[in-house]
Amino acid sequence: MTGGPLAGTPALEVAGLKKTYRARGGAAIVAVDDLTFAVRPGEIVGLLGPNGAGKTTAMQLALALLEPDAGEARLFGGDPELLDARRRVGYAPDAPLFPRKLTGLQILVLHAELLGFARRDARQRAARFAERVGLAEPAQRSAGTYSRGQAQRLGLALALLGDPDLVLLDEPTAGLDPAGVAAMRELLVSLRARGAAVLLNSHLLSEVERVCDRVLFLKQGRLLRTHEVHAGGRTLEVRLANAAGLAGSLGRTIPEGTLEGDRFRVPVQSEEQVPALIRRLVEAGAAIVEARLAGAELEQLYLQIVEGRA
Amino acid sequence: MISWPVARAAALEKLRSPAVLAVGFCLLAAIFFGGSGPRQAFSGPGIAFLVLLTLIVGAGILSDELDSGHAQLVLLRPLTRAAWVGGRLVGAGSALAAIVAAAWVAGLAGAVLRGSQEPWVPALAILPLAVLWAFAWLSVLAAIGAVLPGWTNVAAAVLAVLAWAMLQGSLPVVLKRPELVETFAKVGKYLGPQDPLELATRPREGLGPAVYDLCWIFSAWLVAVVLFNRRELARRRS
Repeated sequence: MTGGPLAGTPALEVAGLKKTYRARGGAAIVAVDDLTFAVRPGEIVGLLGPNGAGKTTAMQLALALLEPDAGEARLFGGDPELLDARRRVGYAPDAPLFPRKLTGLQILVLHAELLGFARRDARQRAARFAERVGLAEPAQRSAGTYSRGQAQRLGLALALLGDPDLVLLDEPTAGLDPAGVAAMRELLVSLRARGAAVLLNSHLLSEVERVCDRVLFLKQGRLLRTHEVHAGGRTLEVRLANAAGLAGSLGRTIPEGTLEGDRFRVPVQSEEQVPALIRRLVEAGAAIVEARLAGAELEQLYLQIVEGRA
Repeated sequence: MISWPVARAAALEKLRSPAVLAVGFCLLAAIFFGGSGPRQAFSGPGIAFLVLLTLIVGAGILSDELDSGHAQLVLLRPLTRAAWVGGRLVGAGSALAAIVAAAWVAGLAGAVLRGSQEPWVPALAILPLAVLWAFAWLSVLAAIGAVLPGWTNVAAAVLAVLAWAMLQGSLPVVLKRPELVETFAKVGKYLGPQDPLELATRPREGLGPAVYDLCWIFSAWLVAVVLFNRRELARRRS
């Protein structure tokens, strides 16, 4: 179904989108203003911004769930209203609500049938996806009894049900327990691996930094900056018990690293580099107390760009 | 025109609603004890519960899904809005038909137990006719529900009927023009679904209202689709 990573037409493309809401009293609230970006197959793009930045509205405009005042959105190069395009899209909204009288499984079967699966296949698929998102047992109960996290999982299962080529996830980790967050991370990575495009709206900066290829910073509906996460590099920060005696040998073994006090920092391009670096540090005689892949970069960038802090 | 998976889900939802089941049970009891056979029962005490059942089944027929935001997920699937509206309408109508059919069977059983001699053909015909009338009102509620939130579609329909009845009763008196009573009666026949139950016993008189109700179902569905197509789908946050 996909054209391979980063190949061909963008899965999602928005150009010059603008949306204004009318508040009570007639005041205009600009939710999205001249927003332009694209998400390509095999890419995970994060939307970051404070509450009210227009992230959810941007997703809804992209899916033609809202009418833009200006600009346009395209899915796979075509009109988002085209049924063919919709077959290839999955969307998990923030805090989804479902028919209270239907069970999770019945809701999944309904969506699978709408995607074109025969009733029997739809049932099997529904059961498989319920299990995949950790909802196998609750899926037998009516959706009206679900906790926030369970509703979130059901929303996620619905988004993934048709093996979509484009997935839009609005705060998918909100309400999830730590195991759910970890599962979500794996899921996003597996989506990218099979060439799907993902647009992710999340406030969890560390998660965004771990999985996203690119981050869009939004504020008051405007795109402030695009940041290439991995091209910008990340930093492996290691705390050493014997830093004082190692300055020389570390400089020779890993010349790109810097030692400040008991912290040794090395820029890395991907997580895959980390085990080899740790090995080299140990071989150089380093007594490692703690090692972490710094997630503060994106946070600093966020504060700098969005909040305007130095 | 109709999404059957949506219809199935809508029927299931309605049949699991405690309010629908409670009124359905009352209808069943009213028809069972109500007359010498289904025809009398549906024309007599059962009709009040049939009206109530129609209103409850039709309440939030579209807006339940729109207000919760589930409609936006469903309509992101390869599905037209017309098919979704058709599915919701047919689903709610099927739930209603199932309850009315159960009530009809109860009415027949009651009549047999009482040794009633009601003729078979009118007794059989009353079932689809009662469903037709209720279905026509359901489609009206769907059309109103395409623009109004929650259960206000029912409130709006009831208010409109009451307002018309008041106008019909008071205007000829206020204007001192008694001839308006007849005019209002003639016009009023066309302001909503008509009662086709006469068709069961008097085909000549009952055919018009039955055909009229069929047209109502299609027209109101069309209006519902047109109105719904103008709506933005995304659920607004409070």
